[in-house]
Amino acid sequence: MHIPDGFLTPPVWATLDFAGLASVSLLARKARAEVDESRIPLLGVMGAFVFAAQMINFPVGLGTSGHLVGGALLAFILGPAAAAMVMTAILAIQALVFQDGGILALGPNVLNMAFAGVFAGYLPVHFLGGRSRRAALFAGAFLSVMVSALMALSELLISGVRMPAGALWISLALFAVSALLEGVITVAAVEAIGRLQPSWVKSRGGGMRAPALAIIALTAVFLASVGITFASASPDGLEKLIERAGPAGRNLFAAPLAEYQWQGLGGEWMGKAAAGVLGVGFVFVLCIGFARLARSKK
Amino acid sequence: MHHVIVERWSRRRSWMHARDARVKLAALVALIAASATTPPSHWTAALFYGALALAGVLAARLPVHSLLSRAALVLPFSATFAAVNWLAGDPARASALLWKSYLSAFSVLLFVSCTPLADALRALEWCRVPSLLILIAQFLYRYLFVISEQAQHMRLAAQCRAGGNHDWTFRGAAAALSVLFVRSYSRADGIRQAMNARGFAGRFPALAAPRFTWIDGVFGAAAIAACAGVRVMA
Repeated sequence: MHIPDGFLTPPVWATLDFAGLASVSLLARKARAEVDESRIPLLGVMGAFVFAAQMINFPVGLGTSGHLVGGALLAFILGPAAAAMVMTAILAIQALVFQDGGILALGPNVLNMAFAGVFAGYLPVHFLGGRSRRAALFAGAFLSVMVSALMALSELLISGVRMPAGALWISLALFAVSALLEGVITVAAVEAIGRLQPSWVKSRGGGMRAPALAIIALTAVFLASVGITFASASPDGLEKLIERAGPAGRNLFAAPLAEYQWQGLGGEWMGKAAAGVLGVGFVFVLCIGFARLARSKK
Repeated sequence: MHHVIVERWSRRRSWMHARDARVKLAALVALIAASATTPPSHWTAALFYGALALAGVLAARLPVHSLLSRAALVLPFSATFAAVNWLAGDPARASALLWKSYLSAFSVLLFVSCTPLADALRALEWCRVPSLLILIAQFLYRYLFVISEQAQHMRLAAQCRAGGNHDWTFRGAAAALSVLFVRSYSRADGIRQAMNARGFAGRFPALAAPRFTWIDGVFGAAAIAACAGVRVMA
């Protein structure tokens, strides 16, 4: 899942590096506010623990073995912001010292594994942790690996790296097996830690009273990743209708970001990326506005 | 172990080792960015970039063979994707995936082999990377050696108890992981107390401030100009 340099096109790595840098900066501030200064050594040592834990092989039959990736476990132990910072540090050390993942691809790798992976791993623990810790941990670890893998695949496909349908499905199947394995290892690890220090494990994983919200959040995270990979270029129902209506059905309204493309920008990819970012920003501002309105009415 | 050897290389003395970490970082980014933006089938440019990196290795008086073979760790991953692209009828992209990823791994290996990681992280801090991230990375790297060694000792002990080369069972591996976790956690607590007792104020003091000399300036400008030159000619 660590993308090396040379795989992504310049617009993809440049955009994702910028987004990764901005996310690191924001989350560092949040983690600083949440984590007491005296606990910073703990974050570093937990990062070293995840590194070392990857040396412990779990036999899974047929002479093969797997190891912990650790995103969901870190999120469970440290909380999402601190865990994302620790995963970012791990990825930076892996890229610099072990040449595992590229330097220009560090931004994409951080977004895939340290942010999307950690937050996808944390969501089930946050929403369902109090009710069924095992299921939440398993779902979190599974999602953590799958979301990271799907984002990495999407970025490769956007960059034009050829992957025939057969190879894509084989990759997805392998990632699904890894994700299942990560779920089993994470649950086994937390259960074993719980046997050694029961009070420590019980104090983790809040549990909220909104399972519907949990399902929506998890579906959104999953669809956001899968959607990029499998988004169809064919017209949707409304577009088909407009095509059939002929010239009369067209140009009734010239949308500023038609076809998810900002026409003012040079390249096709840049136009699409800019339109996407603008769209997400617009929806975010709208949601904040509606939320404030609803709160003030209450 | 890979990181032990890299750490040993980075403590050597040479003209390249003496250069300012910030300048070496800028040169590294220039080389990788230039190669990443070079069109796929420009083999001449690839050779020039390779020659620049090789000149760096010679200036750092590092073992060329060892570096070349260690950088090859990236090749199994790249070769898989290259084979798929080649079979899909895109040989130019297939070759680009191979040479660009290998050149990048080789350049990064050169950078960390002539720059102690503490200096590299300080250079990143100078580039306004959040100090919390730098601190976590510093602690992580410091205790990576200690905890990895502990994990290896546990594995060896398990193999000795099993009376041969048998590895852990699934439950055994989970138990080993939990013991490693509890030991790491209590170690972190001990470190916290020791650091507080020594007056740790959220920042590692540097023994010597980085010194930027005119030689660093000339080296940085020459490296960036060479990379840009090859890129423009490609």
